[in-house]
Amino acid sequence: MIAAPIAALGLFGDAFNFVFTPQEAEGGGVMVGGLDQVGELAAKQLEVTVLALGVALVLALPVGLLLGHYGKGEFVAVSAGNAGRAIPELALIALMAAAVGVGLFNLVVALAILGIPPILTNTFVGIKQVDRSSVEAAKGMGMTNREIMTKVELPLAVPTIMGGVRTASINIIATATIAPLAGILTLGDFIISRNVYGDAGVLAGAILVALMAITIECLLAGVQWALTSRGIKLQRAA
Amino acid sequence: MNELLLPIAEVSGDFFKDRSGGGCIQDNKLFCPGWVADNYDRYVDPTLQHLVLVLSSVAAGFLIAFALAILAHRHRWLSSPFLAGTGILYTIPSISFFFLLLPITGRGQLTAIIALTAFTLQIIFRNITTGLRNVPPNVTEAARGVGLTSQQMLWRVELPLALPEIVAGLRIATVSTVALATLAVFANGGGLGAEIIVGSNITFKTGIIVAGGIAVIMAILFDGLILLAGKLLTPWERAAL
Amino acid sequence: MPDISRVAENSSPNGATASPVRYIGVSKRYPGAESDAVHDLNLEVPAGEICVLVGPSGCGKTTAMRMVNRTVEITEGDILIGDRSVKDGDGAKLRREIGYVIQQIGLFPHRTISQNIATVPNLLDWGKPRIEERVKTLLELIGLDPEMGDRYPSQLSGGQQQRVGVARALAVDPPVMLMDEPFGAIDPINRSRLQNEFLRLQAELRKTILFVTHDVDEAIKMGDKIAVMRKGGEVAQFATPTELLMEPADDFVEDFVGADRALKRLALMRVKDVDLWEAPLTRAGEPTGPVKTALAASDIEVPHPLLVDGENRPIGWLSDRDLLAERVPAIPDSIADLKIDADQTLRDGLAALLQSGSLYAPVVDGRGRLTGVLSAEIVSDFLASPEAAEIAIPAVDRPHE
Repeated sequence: MIAAPIAALGLFGDAFNFVFTPQEAEGGGVMVGGLDQVGELAAKQLEVTVLALGVALVLALPVGLLLGHYGKGEFVAVSAGNAGRAIPELALIALMAAAVGVGLFNLVVALAILGIPPILTNTFVGIKQVDRSSVEAAKGMGMTNREIMTKVELPLAVPTIMGGVRTASINIIATATIAPLAGILTLGDFIISRNVYGDAGVLAGAILVALMAITIECLLAGVQWALTSRGIKLQRAA
Repeated sequence: MNELLLPIAEVSGDFFKDRSGGGCIQDNKLFCPGWVADNYDRYVDPTLQHLVLVLSSVAAGFLIAFALAILAHRHRWLSSPFLAGTGILYTIPSISFFFLLLPITGRGQLTAIIALTAFTLQIIFRNITTGLRNVPPNVTEAARGVGLTSQQMLWRVELPLALPEIVAGLRIATVSTVALATLAVFANGGGLGAEIIVGSNITFKTGIIVAGGIAVIMAILFDGLILLAGKLLTPWERAAL
Repeated sequence: MPDISRVAENSSPNGATASPVRYIGVSKRYPGAESDAVHDLNLEVPAGEICVLVGPSGCGKTTAMRMVNRTVEITEGDILIGDRSVKDGDGAKLRREIGYVIQQIGLFPHRTISQNIATVPNLLDWGKPRIEERVKTLLELIGLDPEMGDRYPSQLSGGQQQRVGVARALAVDPPVMLMDEPFGAIDPINRSRLQNEFLRLQAELRKTILFVTHDVDEAIKMGDKIAVMRKGGEVAQFATPTELLMEPADDFVEDFVGADRALKRLALMRVKDVDLWEAPLTRAGEPTGPVKTALAASDIEVPHPLLVDGENRPIGWLSDRDLLAERVPAIPDSIADLKIDADQTLRDGLAALLQSGSLYAPVVDGRGRLTGVLSAEIVSDFLASPEAAEIAIPAVDRPHE
């Protein structure tokens, strides 16, 4: 029992080495590890994540905004969130690889599919829950529908919408990690292909993925803070 | 190229017995009912494993989150750190988690359960806290006035009133966990994921659809069951209608 | 004290910016409804006046008001602002020219007070310097410090928020204002204050205002003209507050106005507006003879002598014992504790009189000098007189203490 934790320390050391020094693969032959490879795979993971998140935002945000403003399609918008949660990521990636084919485009589509439900649902709920009196006052003062949506409803719904964006990004990053199964090499490759990278590689991969996920979370939290009007922050504190 | 993507035909073994005639499996069509009818019993074990994974993770997650929420309810300053802590666990992809636990618990079902449990913590914690916070203040005032202690108030008044919120959190957590547990195969934890990555191959379409389908159905069933249980536990909400 | 004169400088001369509003055969029927929400409404609101729409809930008063700025679309008929139909052109554009105040106020929580007030000017592309100037003026007008402009709604009290709501509606100096139970969400004490402040504002700005309320007392206080509506969106009576109190058109209006409508009328007038009684006056040190003679007169109104000082300020009532002496004593037997302010409402004056338990009380002006004596009988006689029927006092001139 005591041996395990001590061995663990050793493994962390190995993992640390792995990130910085290229070493020979488990199976022999190629050189793996080192900052170059790490950087390459990390960049790929980032690229895929950003693209998928962007696509999901572009598709889901306007739809959620319109539906929420006009109060239509509640069933669809809310069920989308529930349904999205039930999709097993592994099955999605596998099916994509098997039935549709591999490639960056397909991967981004698959990831976007995972990202759309939380953004759609949260945008819808966020917009719908904006204080009705503010919206009524805005309408009565002569704002057009578009002005109401962009100047009143969106700013007030930022916290809820960003919550959805952050959930979406967590889903996307997690799935991007298993993208190597479909031929796109991301940081997850270190984790999945143990026979190539060894235990050190696996651990290194796990740590790197976790770090990336946390960093992006913090970034989005910062974006949320920046986008939230001071008036709303005061209101919540009140 | 990743060996998992090799076409079925190249994978050796009489693993894919196709007695229904025709080349359904050989052609790797999307869904081969014949094969499924013959081979459905291969899914029983993975499904049971999956059930074990989901139930233990959600149960453990609920117990831990509950304890944290009660603590944070009594000592308000704890909410922020707890929220942040469970938040980190939520953010880290499960697969990453499996292997971060590698040095400590090795590979196996326990690792998978720990990681899945960690994922459910924030959702359940947040919902319990919100549910407790949303209890109308006049109700707690009245309870205190009648002479209930804090302890009694918590168990007899606040928690029951927070039930809808808690149930909602459980539903979300369970559905998410069912989907996520498919990844347990990477930690050698079994589950339906083992049938999605069949042997060392992920291009077996029928297999993916069946395994994925079972997971989705399981998620829907759990969702419905928890919803029902919630309704049964809150007769006053129904009476209001 | 808000500086109202500056507002007058910024906008056109009083009354010029106000337009009359006319309802011509207006009806509203919601799709699938059994009956009209508003039925064949014909109403003319003169420019610069407050018209109150009042009635029980569901009578269509809010619907009727909202058809003016097309937040509810007209089914039949037309509404004219000045000589323009509201149906001409785009709804959003129309609303930018009409002030709109609602009960829940609806300030934008994500914008500062200044930004809230500047909403419509921004929509109309007024330009920064002009907007800043206008916001500053309006803040002064509603009695808020200029620094408050940078605060957020959640940092203001309910009363302050409501005032900002009014300022926001006045931002582009619209000719017509719509107010839907604007003071409904405020506590009664502050509500009274806000009503008074608003009436003072209106005295300067003279906008055409459509005001909806369910409270008939508020209607009487605020309205120049009142339209009492019954369920089904019909007008039961359209009249001045006095007419409404004196001659309710039917049982419905009478019930709605309330059994105490006679008393309500007392709030419309000031003590100085009625003919007060006279009591025999005397000063300390004067011989008691003339007073005793006056007391014996048959046409005397107040059968008790009143002691006043050199400035004609009342000190108290002289009793029979006081009059036994040769000369009037300096201190009377009964000191006048209650002195009624001539500017007070007749209602408040009567209340004070009844509460003190006396039959009579001296009435004094702003400097404490006697103007007459009030008694309960004066009030009841007045209510019964034909004179009372002819009094029509505009809301902005009525006392609103």
